[in-house]
This record gives sequence, C-alpha cells and structure tokens, in this order.
Amino acid sequence: MAQAAVFQDQLAGMEERLRTVSRLMTTKAAIAQTPKQLVWTLNKAKLYRYIPVVPPEKRHPIPLLLIFALMNRPYILDLRPGHSFVEFMVSQGYDVYLLDWGVPGFEDRHMKFDDYTLEYMPRAIRKVKALSGVQEFSMLGWCIGAILTTIYAALRPDDGLRNLMLLTAPLDFSNRQGLTFARWTDEKYFDVEKVLAAFGNMPGEMIDYGAKALKPVENYITNYCKLWDHLDNPMVVEAWHAMNTWVTDNIPLAGGAFRQLIVDLYRNDRLMKGELMIRGQRVDLRRVRANLLTVIAEGDHITPPCQSEAVLSKVGSTDKEVFHVPGGHIGIMAGSNAHKMTWPHIDGWLGSRSQ
Amino acid sequence: MGEGKKENAKPFDPFEPLREMRDAYLDSMAKVMVETVNTEGYAQANGAILDSYLTASAPFREALEKWMVQALQQLSLPSRQEVAALAERFTNMEMRLDDIDAKLDQIARLIVEARPAAATPPVEPAKSAAPAKSPDSAASKAPASAKRGAAGAQKSTRRQSARKSER
Repeated sequence: MAQAAVFQDQLAGMEERLRTVSRLMTTKAAIAQTPKQLVWTLNKAKLYRYIPVVPPEKRHPIPLLLIFALMNRPYILDLRPGHSFVEFMVSQGYDVYLLDWGVPGFEDRHMKFDDYTLEYMPRAIRKVKALSGVQEFSMLGWCIGAILTTIYAALRPDDGLRNLMLLTAPLDFSNRQGLTFARWTDEKYFDVEKVLAAFGNMPGEMIDYGAKALKPVENYITNYCKLWDHLDNPMVVEAWHAMNTWVTDNIPLAGGAFRQLIVDLYRNDRLMKGELMIRGQRVDLRRVRANLLTVIAEGDHITPPCQSEAVLSKVGSTDKEVFHVPGGHIGIMAGSNAHKMTWPHIDGWLGSRSQ
Repeated sequence: MGEGKKENAKPFDPFEPLREMRDAYLDSMAKVMVETVNTEGYAQANGAILDSYLTASAPFREALEKWMVQALQQLSLPSRQEVAALAERFTNMEMRLDDIDAKLDQIARLIVEARPAAATPPVEPAKSAAPAKSPDSAASKAPASAKRGAAGAQKSTRRQSARKSER
C-alpha cells in the first residue's frame, strides 16, 4: 500500500517535470523588460533609449550606445529583470541606447558592412547626440557588432566617439588553423555565391547550426541533461528558459554582409591587414583614437581569444586595456557570473571616462 | 546538532552514480566531437552535403521562381524582385527624410538658442558651456522635431509591419 503511494508520488513528480519541460520548450520567456522608448527607425533598424532611473545630477553625461551582432537578437543585453546588462548600466547612471538591426528581408540581401557603418550607424549616432544634447558618446560592440563599431571608429575618428568597448570581437583572422569557422568556410568546401544565390540572405537556421555544431554534444545533449537535472530549481529553470528563448530566436544575416564576413574577413583577413575597403575608403585601424577596452572571453569557442588580441597593437588609441574574463562567448555578458565580473569592470572603466 | 546535520545531509539518490557515468561519458564525447568538427574531413563533408542540396534543389527553385513570375505577371501583380526594389527605394527615401529631420532639428535648436539672447537683456552672466541636457529634459523640452521623429518612427514601424504583413 505504502509502496503504491510512493510510486504514485513519483509518477506525479515525473508528470510535473515533463510539464515544465514542455512549457520551456514551447513558450517564450518574458525578455527585454527594461523600460525603453523607441526614438528612431530606419528600414528595419530601431534605436531604443532606456528610461533613466537615476536622478539627473548622478547621471554620466556621455551616452552609451550598444551595438549587437547582425545575426542575433540584441535582447541578450537585456535578458530578464535582475539579469540584464542594460538594467545594470541604467542603474549605474548611464544614458543607454540600443541599436536593434531588425530582421533583414529578401529586399535587404544586398546590405553590406558599408551600409551598416556609413548609412545606419552615423544616423543613429546623430539621433543619440541630438537627444542627449552632447557631442561625445561611448559605444559598445559585441561580436559582429564589434566589427561594425571598429570599422566605424576607424572611418569616422572625428565623430565624437570617446570610448569604445569591444566584447569578444572577431577582428583578427590570421590564425586560420585555430578557427573552426575559417576551416568550414574555406573556398575549397564552401561556395558563398551558391548559398546566397539560393537564399538571398544567410538563413538564421544555418547560422544557428554553425554555432551549435562547434560544440555539438554540449549544445544538443548536455544542455538538456543539465536542465533535466535542475528542473526542481526555479532559478535555474527560468534562466534556462530565457536563454533558450534567445538561442532559438534566429534571424538571417544580410547576404552582402555575410559575403564580406566570409570573403574579406575569414578568408583574407583584410581588416587586420589594412586592406578592407568600405565605400572606397580603406579601413585604417591606426585612425581609431577612442579610449579602448577589449573584453576577451577565455573559453570562447566562437571568437577565440586570438581573434581579439591583435587589435590593441593596431589602433591609434593611447588609452587601451584588455580584460580577460573566464567564460564563453555569451556567458561573459549573460551568464550567472556576468554581474560579478564583466559588468562591474565595464562600469568601472567606462564610468571614469564618461565625466 | 547531530540531527541538524542529518536533516541537511543530501538524501540518498540511487541515480547519482548513473548521472555521474552519464556526465563522464558526455564529457569525453564532447572532447572527441570538438576535435572531429575541427578537421578537414568534417569541413569537406559539411560542404559536400550543402553543395549537393543546393545543386539538387536549384532546378526546382528556378522553375518555381519562373512560374511564379509568369503567374504574377498574368495577374498584373508585382514580382518579388519588384517589391524588393520598391522597398529599397523606400529605405532611400527614409534616409533622406531622416537627414531633413536632423537639419530641421538643428535649425530649431539654433533658433531657440538665438532667441533669448536677442530678446532679453543679459541680467545674469550667461554660462559659457551649456551643460549636457538630462535625458528627461531632452525628452520633454522640445526638440519638437525629435518628438516628431519618435512619433514618425512609430508610424513608420507600423507602416513597415503593414508592408511586411502584405508581403
């Protein structure tokens, strides 16, 4: 009789766990909750300004513009309340703006880094300056966003960029043996033109497969095993749900930008060699004069540390710092230790340079 | 004291050894797989699969596109390429409007800055450098065109979503 009751309890427990798994896999977590205002749009791009929570006299006068990658949603920067970089920076008194590139459609298949850095970013920055009422600003670029911000900083050195922060920046492609993506997209095996002729843009699903296939066991098996093991822990479950919502929300990469990423960067390392041409202008990293902070994730398998280190010796900035953080490509900013390590360091570095 | 310890102690879990075995197996598998995906052979196989898919699907895709263009032409409807070209023109127009908006902003700011100096006598010494406007004041005190911009932006977002849904 007692055994039957125990068995029934176990069955009920199992049913509850399966229900939780089903909820996590089929619903989206409430993400990007920090209050914000849409202040500018262009095509699919949107510029948001976060509502300040600190009294004006305690705020930093220099606004901060966040630029995320082109092929993922930027709300990883504002994942969920209490675990949001944006929320943290707003609470530290920064006037925070976020440029969301949106989802490129078939009509955007020709968009290149040239368009993003010389058409979209300057206009968004103009709006940031107009709304903040100051001529200087700081920029934080993450992943491909770091490529865009670096190109912008080199092409527009007199545009008022005071502080530049690069997170897990894939800028140096010289070590081809150390880059799995470089191997996969080698011209011997991967025909960029054929892919773009078929799809126009690089499909989000293919990008997602590429990112996950770098660590297939962790991404396709261990991730779910860990969830199963911690289903009784609501904190772990909610964190997993939010991250899964972001990871599965894939967007395509504009065809022109994808071609540049593969041909100009992965195959020919043109940015570091000083050969990258944007609208006929050579991107000369020596022209970057902004204060520079490079954040490197030591366990990053998407952008290995070797890709982010060389930029320091190439730029013309006199105030430059590299910060190594234990963790992965996303974990350093959205992981459970981000609020103890990466965010305070960024705040400390930027705060002293935003007066 | 002893009872407290007993209460805090982890209850015996018969599945724990199995879990440990599983984790050890997955760890070793993970290392093997990371090495595997980083080989020339994997890159070659990946490329071959993608290439054969693209080659095999190309004739069907092209035929479908051709058929679709003809069908749309018969129905006097624009093709995908034509709609895309139109969208590109919209974006160019948006850029021009944005530039005009910024110029109007600048003119409005200059007018506001010039007005008090011309209209009122300098009772108090003017500040040499205007302090940075706080985000609150920047949002509430005019840039009328900024407000217009934000409102316009929301309108244009609605327009875009409408266009998207039409497509």
